Amino acid sequence: MSVELSKKGLVLTATGLAAGYDGRAIVSGITIEATPGKVFSIVGPNGSGKSTLLKSLVGVVKVLEGSVKVGDTSITNMPPEEVAKIGVGYVPQIDDVFPPLSVKENLEIGGYLLKRSEIHERIDAVLEFFPRLKVMMTRKAGKLSGGERKMLAMGRVLMLSPSVLVLDEPTANLAPMVATQLLEEYIRGFANFGSTVLLVEQRAKAALRISDHTYVLGGGRVVLEGAPSDLENNPIFVESFLGGGAAARPKE
Amino acid sequence: MSSFGFGLISAAVLAIATVGFTMQFAVTNVLNLAYGSIMINSAFVTYYVNEHGVNAWVALVGGVLTGAIASWLLNRFVYTPFQKRNLAPITVVIVSLGIDLIGTFGLQAIVGGGYVSFTQNQGREYHFAGLLLSSLQLIVMGICVAVLVGVHGLLKYTRLGKAMRATSANKNLARNSGIKTQFIISTTWLISGALCGLAGTVFAMNAGVFEATSAQLYIVLLLAAMFLGGPGEPYGAMFGALTIGLATEVSAAYINPDYKDVIAFIALIVMLMFRPFGIFGSEKTN
Ligand SMILES: Nc1ncnc2c1ncn2[C@@H]1O[C@H](COP(=O)(O)OP(=O)(O)OP(=O)(O)O)[C@@H](O)[C@H]1O
Ligand SMILES: [Mg+2]
Repeated sequence: MSVELSKKGLVLTATGLAAGYDGRAIVSGITIEATPGKVFSIVGPNGSGKSTLLKSLVGVVKVLEGSVKVGDTSITNMPPEEVAKIGVGYVPQIDDVFPPLSVKENLEIGGYLLKRSEIHERIDAVLEFFPRLKVMMTRKAGKLSGGERKMLAMGRVLMLSPSVLVLDEPTANLAPMVATQLLEEYIRGFANFGSTVLLVEQRAKAALRISDHTYVLGGGRVVLEGAPSDLENNPIFVESFLGGGAAARPKE
Repeated sequence: MSSFGFGLISAAVLAIATVGFTMQFAVTNVLNLAYGSIMINSAFVTYYVNEHGVNAWVALVGGVLTGAIASWLLNRFVYTPFQKRNLAPITVVIVSLGIDLIGTFGLQAIVGGGYVSFTQNQGREYHFAGLLLSSLQLIVMGICVAVLVGVHGLLKYTRLGKAMRATSANKNLARNSGIKTQFIISTTWLISGALCGLAGTVFAMNAGVFEATSAQLYIVLLLAAMFLGGPGEPYGAMFGALTIGLATEVSAAYINPDYKDVIAFIALIVMLMFRPFGIFGSEKTN
Protein backbone atom coordinates (compact mmCIF):
# COMPACT_ATOMS: atom_id res chain seq x y z
CA MET A 1 0.00 0.00 0.00
CA SER A 2 1.58 3.25 -1.13
CA VAL A 3 -0.53 5.50 1.07
CA GLU A 4 -1.68 4.26 4.41
CA LEU A 5 -5.34 3.35 4.32
CA SER A 6 -6.35 4.50 7.75
CA LYS A 7 -4.87 6.34 10.67
CA LYS A 8 -3.72 4.48 13.71
CA GLY A 9 -6.83 3.24 15.47
CA LEU A 10 -8.37 4.89 18.50
CA VAL A 11 -10.35 3.22 21.25
CA LEU A 12 -14.10 3.64 20.94
CA THR A 13 -16.03 3.30 24.17
CA ALA A 14 -19.66 3.60 25.14
CA THR A 15 -20.52 3.63 28.83
CA GLY A 16 -23.97 3.13 30.31
CA LEU A 17 -25.45 4.19 27.00
CA ALA A 18 -29.19 4.60 26.42
CA ALA A 19 -30.48 5.87 23.06
CA GLY A 20 -33.61 5.92 20.96
CA TYR A 21 -36.15 7.95 19.05
CA ASP A 22 -38.40 10.76 20.35
CA GLY A 23 -36.94 10.46 23.83
CA ARG A 24 -37.86 6.79 24.10
CA ALA A 25 -34.93 4.44 24.68
CA ILE A 26 -34.55 1.52 22.27
CA VAL A 27 -31.19 0.43 23.66
CA SER A 28 -30.08 0.94 27.24
CA GLY A 29 -27.39 0.05 29.72
CA ILE A 30 -24.92 -0.50 26.90
CA THR A 31 -21.24 -0.59 27.80
CA ILE A 32 -18.99 -1.65 24.96
CA GLU A 33 -15.45 -1.05 23.84
CA ALA A 34 -13.62 -1.45 20.56
CA THR A 35 -9.83 -1.28 20.40
CA PRO A 36 -7.33 -0.77 17.55
CA GLY A 37 -6.23 -3.62 15.34
CA LYS A 38 -9.22 -5.74 16.16
CA VAL A 39 -12.70 -6.52 14.89
CA PHE A 40 -15.53 -6.13 17.37
CA SER A 41 -18.88 -7.40 16.26
CA ILE A 42 -22.46 -7.02 17.39
CA VAL A 43 -24.95 -9.77 16.66
CA GLY A 44 -28.60 -10.03 17.59
CA PRO A 45 -32.02 -10.71 16.17
CA ASN A 46 -33.93 -8.28 13.94
CA GLY A 47 -35.17 -5.30 15.88
CA SER A 48 -32.86 -5.85 18.83
CA GLY A 49 -31.46 -2.34 18.37
CA LYS A 50 -28.15 -2.98 16.60
CA SER A 51 -28.57 -0.18 14.10
CA THR A 52 -29.93 2.18 16.74
CA LEU A 53 -26.86 1.54 18.85
CA LEU A 54 -24.45 2.28 15.99
CA LYS A 55 -26.38 5.40 15.03
CA SER A 56 -26.18 6.71 18.57
CA LEU A 57 -22.41 6.23 18.54
CA VAL A 58 -21.98 8.39 15.42
CA GLY A 59 -24.43 11.17 16.30
CA VAL A 60 -27.35 10.17 14.09
CA VAL A 61 -29.60 9.06 16.97
CA LYS A 62 -29.83 10.94 20.24
CA VAL A 63 -27.97 9.58 23.28
CA LEU A 64 -30.34 9.78 26.26
CA GLU A 65 -27.99 8.52 28.95
CA GLY A 66 -24.34 7.61 29.30
CA SER A 67 -21.41 8.63 27.14
CA VAL A 68 -19.45 7.83 24.00
CA LYS A 69 -15.74 8.45 23.63
CA VAL A 70 -13.15 8.14 20.88
CA GLY A 71 -9.69 8.13 22.37
CA ASP A 72 -9.86 10.92 24.93
CA THR A 73 -12.54 12.90 23.11
CA SER A 74 -16.16 12.75 24.18
CA ILE A 75 -18.41 12.44 21.14
CA THR A 76 -21.66 12.05 23.04
CA ASN A 77 -24.38 13.68 20.91
CA MET A 78 -21.79 15.34 18.71
CA PRO A 79 -23.25 16.26 15.28
CA PRO A 80 -22.42 13.57 12.68
CA GLU A 81 -20.36 15.97 10.56
CA GLU A 82 -18.01 16.50 13.49
CA VAL A 83 -17.87 12.84 14.38
CA ALA A 84 -16.62 12.29 10.83
CA LYS A 85 -13.95 14.95 11.34
CA ILE A 86 -12.68 13.23 14.48
CA GLY A 87 -12.01 10.09 12.49
CA VAL A 88 -15.01 7.82 12.85
CA GLY A 89 -16.18 6.40 9.52
CA TYR A 90 -19.75 5.12 9.53
CA VAL A 91 -21.36 2.99 6.83
CA PRO A 92 -25.12 2.75 7.42
CA GLN A 93 -27.17 -0.39 6.82
CA ILE A 94 -29.24 1.25 4.08
CA ASP A 95 -28.82 4.47 2.08
CA ASP A 96 -25.08 3.97 2.17
CA VAL A 97 -24.15 5.82 -1.06
CA PHE A 98 -25.34 8.85 -3.04
CA PRO A 99 -27.19 7.11 -5.90
CA PRO A 100 -27.33 9.99 -8.43
CA LEU A 101 -23.65 10.81 -7.98
CA SER A 102 -20.96 8.97 -9.89
CA VAL A 103 -18.58 6.61 -8.14
CA LYS A 104 -15.86 9.23 -8.40
CA GLU A 105 -18.12 11.91 -6.96
CA ASN A 106 -19.13 9.63 -4.10
CA LEU A 107 -15.46 9.24 -3.24
CA GLU A 108 -14.90 12.98 -3.56
CA ILE A 109 -17.74 13.61 -1.13
CA GLY A 110 -16.12 11.08 1.17
CA GLY A 111 -13.04 13.30 1.04
CA TYR A 112 -15.04 16.50 1.48
CA LEU A 113 -12.99 17.55 4.49
CA LEU A 114 -9.68 17.05 2.69
CA LYS A 115 -7.70 19.59 0.72
CA ARG A 116 -8.22 19.48 -3.01
CA SER A 117 -4.73 18.15 -3.63
CA GLU A 118 -5.16 15.34 -1.11
CA ILE A 119 -8.41 14.09 -2.60
CA HIS A 120 -6.83 12.56 -5.72
CA GLU A 121 -4.13 10.89 -3.72
CA ARG A 122 -6.71 9.36 -1.40
CA ILE A 123 -8.90 8.20 -4.28
CA ASP A 124 -5.87 6.35 -5.65
CA ALA A 125 -5.27 4.71 -2.28
CA VAL A 126 -8.90 3.64 -1.97
CA LEU A 127 -8.88 2.27 -5.52
CA GLU A 128 -5.79 0.27 -4.72
CA PHE A 129 -7.79 -1.33 -1.94
CA PHE A 130 -10.94 -1.81 -4.04
CA PRO A 131 -9.55 -2.23 -7.56
CA ARG A 132 -12.94 -3.24 -8.93
CA LEU A 133 -14.14 0.32 -8.57
CA LYS A 134 -11.45 1.54 -10.98
CA VAL A 135 -13.37 0.65 -14.11
CA MET A 136 -16.64 2.21 -12.97
CA MET A 137 -15.59 5.67 -11.83
CA THR A 138 -18.08 7.47 -14.05
CA ARG A 139 -21.00 5.13 -13.36
CA LYS A 140 -23.77 6.35 -11.07
CA ALA A 141 -23.66 4.76 -7.63
CA GLY A 142 -27.34 3.88 -7.98
CA LYS A 143 -26.45 1.55 -10.87
CA LEU A 144 -23.86 -0.58 -9.06
CA SER A 145 -24.36 -4.18 -8.01
CA GLY A 146 -24.81 -4.90 -4.32
CA GLY A 147 -21.19 -5.87 -3.79
CA GLU A 148 -19.80 -2.96 -5.78
CA ARG A 149 -22.08 -0.63 -3.90
CA LYS A 150 -20.80 -1.83 -0.52
CA MET A 151 -17.22 -1.41 -1.68
CA LEU A 152 -18.05 2.14 -2.69
CA ALA A 153 -19.80 2.77 0.63
CA MET A 154 -16.67 1.65 2.45
CA GLY A 155 -14.40 3.43 0.01
CA ARG A 156 -16.30 6.62 0.79
CA VAL A 157 -15.50 6.43 4.51
CA LEU A 158 -11.91 5.36 3.87
CA MET A 159 -11.35 8.67 2.08
CA LEU A 160 -10.86 10.36 5.45
CA SER A 161 -8.42 7.70 6.71
CA PRO A 162 -10.65 6.97 9.69
CA SER A 163 -9.30 5.73 12.99
CA VAL A 164 -12.52 3.89 13.74
CA LEU A 165 -14.79 2.10 11.27
CA VAL A 166 -18.39 1.54 12.24
CA LEU A 167 -20.12 -0.79 9.79
CA ASP A 168 -23.80 -1.75 9.89
CA GLU A 169 -24.46 -5.13 8.24
CA PRO A 170 -22.16 -4.59 5.27
CA THR A 171 -22.89 -8.08 3.96
CA ALA A 172 -26.69 -7.85 3.94
CA ASN A 173 -28.14 -8.86 0.55
CA LEU A 174 -24.78 -9.97 -0.80
CA ALA A 175 -24.13 -13.34 -2.39
CA PRO A 176 -22.37 -15.65 0.11
CA MET A 177 -19.07 -15.60 -1.77
CA VAL A 178 -19.02 -11.81 -1.98
CA ALA A 179 -20.02 -11.53 1.67
CA THR A 180 -17.20 -13.81 2.73
CA GLN A 181 -14.65 -11.90 0.69
CA LEU A 182 -15.87 -8.60 2.09
CA LEU A 183 -15.61 -9.83 5.67
CA GLU A 184 -12.47 -11.89 5.57
CA GLU A 185 -10.42 -9.92 3.10
CA TYR A 186 -11.50 -6.32 3.42
CA ILE A 187 -13.01 -5.86 6.87
CA ARG A 188 -10.48 -8.08 8.58
CA GLY A 189 -7.95 -6.17 6.47
CA PHE A 190 -8.92 -2.85 8.01
CA ALA A 191 -8.20 -4.23 11.47
CA ASN A 192 -4.92 -5.73 10.32
CA PHE A 193 -3.92 -2.24 9.16
CA GLY A 194 -4.42 -1.08 12.73
CA SER A 195 -7.91 0.42 12.52
CA THR A 196 -10.58 -0.10 15.10
CA VAL A 197 -13.51 -1.97 13.56
CA LEU A 198 -17.00 -2.21 15.05
CA LEU A 199 -19.27 -4.32 12.90
CA VAL A 200 -22.90 -5.38 13.03
CA GLU A 201 -23.36 -8.75 11.38
CA GLN A 202 -26.57 -10.80 11.34
CA ARG A 203 -24.94 -14.10 10.52
CA ALA A 204 -23.36 -15.12 13.78
CA LYS A 205 -21.09 -17.77 12.32
CA ALA A 206 -19.50 -15.40 9.84
CA ALA A 207 -19.19 -12.75 12.53
CA LEU A 208 -17.36 -15.03 14.93
CA ARG A 209 -14.95 -16.12 12.22
CA ILE A 210 -13.48 -12.64 11.78
CA SER A 211 -14.06 -11.14 15.23
CA ASP A 212 -11.82 -10.75 18.22
CA HIS A 213 -14.74 -9.99 20.48
CA THR A 214 -18.50 -10.20 20.00
CA TYR A 215 -21.42 -8.51 21.76
CA VAL A 216 -24.83 -10.15 21.66
CA LEU A 217 -27.73 -7.74 21.69
CA GLY A 218 -31.21 -8.77 22.79
CA GLY A 219 -34.11 -6.45 23.47
CA GLY A 220 -31.86 -3.41 23.43
CA ARG A 221 -29.32 -4.74 25.94
CA VAL A 222 -26.03 -6.58 25.77
CA VAL A 223 -27.10 -10.01 26.95
CA LEU A 224 -23.84 -11.83 26.28
CA GLU A 225 -20.31 -11.04 25.19
CA GLY A 226 -17.02 -12.72 24.72
CA ALA A 227 -14.30 -13.97 22.42
CA PRO A 228 -15.46 -16.27 19.61
CA SER A 229 -14.15 -19.32 21.44
CA ASP A 230 -16.16 -18.40 24.56
CA LEU A 231 -19.34 -17.93 22.62
CA GLU A 232 -18.90 -21.10 20.60
CA ASN A 233 -18.82 -22.98 23.87
CA ASN A 234 -21.76 -21.15 25.38
CA PRO A 235 -24.87 -23.36 25.14
CA ILE A 236 -27.29 -20.41 25.11
CA PHE A 237 -25.41 -18.72 22.28
CA VAL A 238 -25.09 -21.93 20.33
CA GLU A 239 -28.77 -22.65 20.64
CA SER A 240 -29.85 -19.12 19.77
CA PHE A 241 -27.43 -18.30 17.00
CA LEU A 242 -25.55 -21.32 15.74
CA GLY A 243 -28.15 -24.05 16.19
CA GLY A 244 -29.98 -23.33 12.94
CA GLY A 245 -33.67 -23.94 12.43
CA ALA A 246 -36.30 -22.02 14.38
CA ALA A 247 -34.07 -21.42 17.34
CA ALA A 248 -31.63 -19.36 15.30
CA ARG A 249 -33.90 -16.33 15.47
CA PRO A 250 -35.07 -16.17 19.08
CA LYS A 251 -37.19 -13.05 18.72
CA GLU A 252 -39.15 -14.07 15.65
CA MET B 1 -43.77 31.75 -36.40
CA SER B 2 -43.93 34.74 -34.06
CA SER B 3 -45.63 32.62 -31.43
CA PHE B 4 -42.63 30.33 -31.66
CA GLY B 5 -40.38 33.31 -31.01
CA PHE B 6 -42.50 34.38 -28.05
CA GLY B 7 -42.50 30.80 -26.85
CA LEU B 8 -38.73 30.71 -26.99
CA ILE B 9 -38.41 33.81 -24.80
CA SER B 10 -41.08 32.62 -22.37
CA ALA B 11 -39.25 29.33 -22.23
CA ALA B 12 -35.99 31.12 -21.49
CA VAL B 13 -37.59 33.05 -18.63
CA LEU B 14 -39.25 29.90 -17.35
CA ALA B 15 -35.96 28.00 -17.56
CA ILE B 16 -34.20 30.54 -15.35
CA ALA B 17 -37.05 30.35 -12.85
CA THR B 18 -37.38 26.56 -12.92
CA VAL B 19 -33.67 25.90 -12.47
CA GLY B 20 -33.79 27.91 -9.24
CA PHE B 21 -37.06 26.36 -8.17
CA THR B 22 -36.00 22.76 -8.71
CA MET B 23 -32.60 23.34 -7.05
CA GLN B 24 -34.39 24.79 -4.04
CA PHE B 25 -36.80 21.87 -3.84
CA ALA B 26 -34.15 19.19 -4.30
CA VAL B 27 -31.61 20.45 -1.80
CA THR B 28 -33.78 22.03 0.89
CA ASN B 29 -36.74 19.67 0.59
CA VAL B 30 -39.17 22.59 0.67
CA LEU B 31 -41.72 22.94 -2.10
CA ASN B 32 -41.74 26.71 -1.92
CA LEU B 33 -45.04 27.81 -3.46
CA ALA B 34 -44.15 31.40 -2.53
CA TYR B 35 -41.55 31.43 -5.35
CA GLY B 36 -43.85 33.40 -7.69
CA SER B 37 -44.49 36.12 -5.14
CA ILE B 38 -40.77 36.52 -4.49
CA MET B 39 -40.27 36.80 -8.25
CA ILE B 40 -42.74 39.65 -8.55
CA ASN B 41 -41.51 41.40 -5.41
CA SER B 42 -37.99 41.28 -6.84
CA ALA B 43 -39.28 42.67 -10.14
CA PHE B 44 -40.80 45.60 -8.28
CA VAL B 45 -37.54 46.32 -6.49
CA THR B 46 -35.80 46.42 -9.86
CA TYR B 47 -38.60 48.65 -11.08
CA TYR B 48 -38.17 51.17 -8.25
CA VAL B 49 -34.40 51.28 -8.65
CA ASN B 50 -34.96 51.78 -12.38
CA GLU B 51 -37.45 54.58 -11.57
CA HIS B 52 -34.66 56.38 -9.78
CA GLY B 53 -32.81 56.73 -13.02
CA VAL B 54 -30.69 53.61 -12.85
CA ASN B 55 -30.41 51.60 -16.05
CA ALA B 56 -32.79 48.63 -15.88
CA TRP B 57 -29.99 46.10 -16.45
CA VAL B 58 -28.05 47.57 -13.54
CA ALA B 59 -31.20 47.83 -11.43
CA LEU B 60 -31.63 44.13 -11.99
CA VAL B 61 -28.93 43.57 -9.38
CA GLY B 62 -31.39 44.96 -6.83
CA GLY B 63 -33.97 42.41 -7.92
CA VAL B 64 -31.46 39.57 -7.68
CA LEU B 65 -30.41 40.61 -4.19
CA THR B 66 -34.05 40.93 -3.14
CA GLY B 67 -34.79 37.40 -4.28
CA ALA B 68 -31.72 36.02 -2.52
CA ILE B 69 -32.28 37.82 0.77
CA ALA B 70 -36.06 37.30 0.88
CA SER B 71 -35.65 33.56 0.21
CA TRP B 72 -32.94 33.23 2.81
CA LEU B 73 -35.03 35.07 5.42
CA LEU B 74 -38.09 33.04 4.54
CA ASN B 75 -36.19 29.83 5.15
CA ARG B 76 -34.47 31.06 8.26
CA PHE B 77 -37.51 32.48 10.04
CA VAL B 78 -40.44 30.52 8.61
CA TYR B 79 -39.63 27.21 6.92
CA THR B 80 -36.80 26.00 9.17
CA PRO B 81 -38.77 26.56 12.41
CA PHE B 82 -41.70 24.66 10.91
CA GLN B 83 -39.46 21.84 9.65
CA LYS B 84 -37.87 21.50 13.07
CA ARG B 85 -41.23 20.69 14.59
CA ASN B 86 -41.37 17.40 12.70
CA LEU B 87 -44.81 18.07 11.24
CA ALA B 88 -46.07 16.37 8.10
CA PRO B 89 -44.24 17.77 5.02
CA ILE B 90 -47.53 19.11 3.66
CA THR B 91 -47.58 21.61 6.52
CA VAL B 92 -44.65 23.54 5.10
CA VAL B 93 -46.24 23.49 1.63
CA ILE B 94 -49.42 25.04 3.03
CA VAL B 95 -47.39 27.61 4.95
CA SER B 96 -45.62 28.51 1.69
CA LEU B 97 -48.98 28.96 -0.02
CA GLY B 98 -49.94 31.38 2.72
CA ILE B 99 -46.64 33.23 2.29
CA ASP B 100 -47.33 33.47 -1.43
CA LEU B 101 -50.67 35.19 -0.83
CA ILE B 102 -49.19 37.49 1.80
CA GLY B 103 -46.27 38.32 -0.50
CA THR B 104 -48.47 39.04 -3.48
CA PHE B 105 -51.27 40.97 -1.83
CA GLY B 106 -48.94 42.65 0.62
CA LEU B 107 -47.06 43.97 -2.41
CA GLN B 108 -50.32 45.03 -4.00
CA ALA B 109 -51.27 46.93 -0.84
CA ILE B 110 -47.98 48.82 -1.06
CA VAL B 111 -47.67 49.51 -4.78
CA GLY B 112 -51.36 49.68 -5.64
CA GLY B 113 -53.26 47.80 -8.30
CA GLY B 114 -52.04 49.53 -11.46
CA TYR B 115 -49.72 48.30 -14.20
CA VAL B 116 -46.18 49.60 -14.39
CA SER B 117 -43.33 49.19 -16.84
CA PHE B 118 -39.59 49.73 -16.92
CA THR B 119 -38.21 52.89 -18.43
CA GLN B 120 -36.56 51.14 -21.31
CA ASN B 121 -37.80 49.99 -24.64
CA GLN B 122 -37.43 46.63 -26.24
CA GLY B 123 -34.36 47.89 -28.13
CA ARG B 124 -33.82 47.51 -31.85
CA GLU B 125 -34.96 44.39 -33.61
CA TYR B 126 -32.86 41.68 -35.17
CA HIS B 127 -33.70 39.01 -37.69
CA PHE B 128 -32.34 35.84 -36.32
CA ALA B 129 -32.83 32.36 -37.77
CA GLY B 130 -36.09 33.46 -39.35
CA LEU B 131 -37.32 35.04 -36.11
CA LEU B 132 -37.78 38.69 -35.33
CA LEU B 133 -36.23 39.32 -31.91
CA SER B 134 -35.77 42.53 -29.96
CA SER B 135 -32.48 43.19 -28.24
CA LEU B 136 -34.29 42.74 -24.92
CA GLN B 137 -35.30 39.27 -26.00
CA LEU B 138 -31.79 38.46 -27.13
CA ILE B 139 -30.39 39.59 -23.80
CA VAL B 140 -32.94 37.43 -21.93
CA MET B 141 -31.89 34.44 -23.98
CA GLY B 142 -28.26 35.26 -23.26
CA ILE B 143 -28.96 35.44 -19.54
CA CYS B 144 -30.76 32.13 -19.75
CA VAL B 145 -27.82 30.42 -21.42
CA ALA B 146 -25.42 31.96 -18.91
CA VAL B 147 -27.57 30.74 -16.00
CA LEU B 148 -27.81 27.23 -17.39
CA VAL B 149 -24.08 27.00 -18.03
CA GLY B 150 -23.34 28.56 -14.64
CA VAL B 151 -25.60 26.21 -12.71
CA HIS B 152 -24.26 23.24 -14.63
CA GLY B 153 -20.71 24.27 -13.77
CA LEU B 154 -21.61 24.88 -10.15
CA LEU B 155 -23.24 21.49 -9.64
CA LYS B 156 -20.77 19.49 -11.65
CA TYR B 157 -17.40 21.00 -10.92
CA THR B 158 -17.39 22.83 -7.60
CA ARG B 159 -17.06 21.53 -4.07
CA LEU B 160 -20.16 23.49 -3.05
CA GLY B 161 -22.19 22.12 -5.96
CA LYS B 162 -21.22 18.53 -5.25
CA ALA B 163 -22.09 19.03 -1.59
CA MET B 164 -25.46 20.40 -2.68
CA ARG B 165 -26.13 17.31 -4.79
CA ALA B 166 -24.97 15.02 -1.99
CA THR B 167 -27.24 16.81 0.49
CA SER B 168 -30.11 16.47 -1.95
CA ALA B 169 -29.49 12.75 -2.51
CA ASN B 170 -28.96 11.70 1.10
CA LYS B 171 -28.75 14.31 3.79
CA ASN B 172 -27.76 12.00 6.63
CA LEU B 173 -24.98 10.41 4.65
CA ALA B 174 -23.79 13.87 3.63
CA ARG B 175 -23.49 14.76 7.31
CA ASN B 176 -21.66 11.50 8.00
CA SER B 177 -19.21 12.58 5.31
CA GLY B 178 -18.44 15.79 7.17
CA ILE B 179 -20.70 18.16 5.22
CA LYS B 180 -22.39 20.88 7.27
CA THR B 181 -25.70 20.40 5.52
CA GLN B 182 -27.35 23.27 7.36
CA PHE B 183 -24.84 25.64 5.81
CA ILE B 184 -25.26 24.04 2.38
CA ILE B 185 -29.03 24.46 2.65
CA SER B 186 -28.79 28.15 3.64
CA THR B 187 -26.43 28.76 0.76
CA THR B 188 -28.86 27.02 -1.58
CA TRP B 189 -31.61 29.41 -0.46
CA LEU B 190 -29.34 32.32 -1.35
CA ILE B 191 -28.42 30.98 -4.77
CA SER B 192 -31.87 29.74 -5.75
CA GLY B 193 -33.35 32.95 -4.34
CA ALA B 194 -30.99 34.97 -6.53
CA LEU B 195 -32.20 33.00 -9.56
CA CYS B 196 -35.77 33.64 -8.42
CA GLY B 197 -35.12 37.39 -8.27
CA LEU B 198 -33.41 37.31 -11.65
CA ALA B 199 -36.27 35.33 -13.16
CA GLY B 200 -38.84 37.72 -11.70
CA THR B 201 -37.12 40.72 -13.20
CA VAL B 202 -36.68 39.28 -16.69
CA PHE B 203 -40.25 37.95 -16.50
CA ALA B 204 -41.48 41.50 -15.89
CA MET B 205 -39.20 42.97 -18.57
CA ASN B 206 -40.40 40.42 -21.06
CA ALA B 207 -44.03 41.08 -20.16
CA GLY B 208 -43.52 44.81 -20.79
CA VAL B 209 -46.21 45.88 -18.35
CA PHE B 210 -46.84 44.14 -15.05
CA GLU B 211 -48.62 44.46 -11.73
CA ALA B 212 -48.39 42.93 -8.27
CA THR B 213 -50.46 39.89 -9.21
CA SER B 214 -48.80 39.23 -12.58
CA ALA B 215 -46.88 36.16 -11.39
CA GLN B 216 -49.71 34.71 -9.36
CA LEU B 217 -50.30 31.73 -11.62
CA TYR B 218 -46.65 31.35 -12.58
CA ILE B 219 -46.26 28.59 -10.00
CA VAL B 220 -48.35 26.34 -12.26
CA LEU B 221 -45.82 26.72 -15.07
CA LEU B 222 -42.97 26.15 -12.63
CA LEU B 223 -44.50 22.98 -11.24
CA ALA B 224 -45.29 21.69 -14.72
CA ALA B 225 -41.78 22.39 -15.99
CA MET B 226 -40.19 20.91 -12.90
CA PHE B 227 -42.20 17.72 -12.90
CA LEU B 228 -41.78 17.32 -16.63
CA GLY B 229 -38.02 17.32 -16.24
CA GLY B 230 -38.01 15.43 -12.97
CA PRO B 231 -37.90 17.19 -9.60
CA GLY B 232 -34.39 18.09 -8.60
CA GLU B 233 -32.96 17.57 -12.06
CA PRO B 234 -31.47 20.84 -13.29
CA TYR B 235 -31.02 19.55 -16.83
CA GLY B 236 -34.56 18.22 -16.72
CA ALA B 237 -35.70 21.67 -15.62
CA MET B 238 -34.20 23.18 -18.78
CA PHE B 239 -35.96 20.63 -20.91
CA GLY B 240 -39.23 20.99 -18.99
CA ALA B 241 -39.14 24.77 -19.26
CA LEU B 242 -38.46 24.68 -22.97
CA THR B 243 -41.33 22.26 -23.55
CA ILE B 244 -43.84 24.04 -21.33
CA GLY B 245 -42.75 27.50 -22.53
CA LEU B 246 -43.13 26.59 -26.19
CA ALA B 247 -46.28 24.52 -25.71
CA THR B 248 -48.12 27.23 -23.81
CA GLU B 249 -47.18 30.06 -26.18
CA VAL B 250 -47.79 28.13 -29.36
CA SER B 251 -51.08 26.73 -28.14
CA ALA B 252 -52.08 30.19 -26.94
CA ALA B 253 -51.60 31.43 -30.49
CA TYR B 254 -53.85 28.75 -31.93
CA ILE B 255 -56.45 28.30 -29.20
CA ASN B 256 -56.91 31.16 -26.77
CA PRO B 257 -54.29 32.95 -24.68
CA ASP B 258 -56.50 32.53 -21.61
CA TYR B 259 -55.87 28.79 -21.74
CA LYS B 260 -52.11 29.11 -21.34
CA ASP B 261 -52.03 28.09 -17.70
CA VAL B 262 -54.64 25.42 -18.33
CA ILE B 263 -52.37 23.80 -20.91
CA ALA B 264 -49.50 23.82 -18.42
CA PHE B 265 -51.76 22.39 -15.77
CA ILE B 266 -52.90 19.57 -18.03
CA ALA B 267 -49.27 18.78 -18.82
CA LEU B 268 -48.56 18.69 -15.09
CA ILE B 269 -51.42 16.30 -14.36
CA VAL B 270 -50.50 13.98 -17.22
CA MET B 271 -46.92 13.98 -15.97
CA LEU B 272 -47.90 13.17 -12.41
CA MET B 273 -50.07 10.33 -13.67
CA PHE B 274 -47.52 8.61 -15.85
CA ARG B 275 -44.05 9.66 -14.79
CA PRO B 276 -44.14 11.43 -11.42
CA PHE B 277 -40.36 11.40 -11.35
CA GLY B 278 -40.13 13.23 -14.68
CA ILE B 279 -38.61 12.34 -18.00
CA PHE B 280 -35.04 12.71 -16.80
CA GLY B 281 -35.62 11.73 -13.20
CA SER B 282 -35.33 8.21 -11.95
CA GLU B 283 -37.34 6.52 -9.25
CA LYS B 284 -35.54 7.02 -5.97
CA THR B 285 -33.70 3.94 -4.90
CA ASN B 286 -33.84 3.29 -1.16
N1 LIG C 1 -36.57 6.06 13.09
C1 LIG C 1 -37.17 5.28 14.03
N2 LIG C 1 -38.16 5.77 14.79
C2 LIG C 1 -38.76 5.00 15.73
N3 LIG C 1 -38.43 3.72 15.97
C3 LIG C 1 -37.44 3.17 15.24
C4 LIG C 1 -36.76 3.91 14.23
N4 LIG C 1 -35.82 3.12 13.66
C5 LIG C 1 -35.93 1.93 14.30
N5 LIG C 1 -36.89 1.94 15.25
C6 LIG C 1 -37.26 0.85 16.14
O1 LIG C 1 -36.19 0.52 16.97
C7 LIG C 1 -36.09 -0.87 17.16
C8 LIG C 1 -34.71 -1.34 16.84
O2 LIG C 1 -34.45 -1.11 15.47
P1 LIG C 1 -33.02 -1.30 14.82
O3 LIG C 1 -33.08 -0.87 13.43
O4 LIG C 1 -32.01 -0.65 15.70
O5 LIG C 1 -32.85 -2.87 14.93
P2 LIG C 1 -31.75 -3.82 14.28
O6 LIG C 1 -31.24 -4.69 15.37
O7 LIG C 1 -30.75 -3.02 13.54
O8 LIG C 1 -32.62 -4.67 13.28
P3 LIG C 1 -32.21 -5.31 11.86
O9 LIG C 1 -31.45 -6.55 12.15
O10 LIG C 1 -33.52 -5.61 11.23
O11 LIG C 1 -31.42 -4.30 11.11
C9 LIG C 1 -37.17 -1.50 16.28
O12 LIG C 1 -38.26 -1.85 17.10
C10 LIG C 1 -37.55 -0.40 15.34
O13 LIG C 1 -38.90 -0.49 14.98
MG1 LIG D 1 -30.16 -2.89 11.61
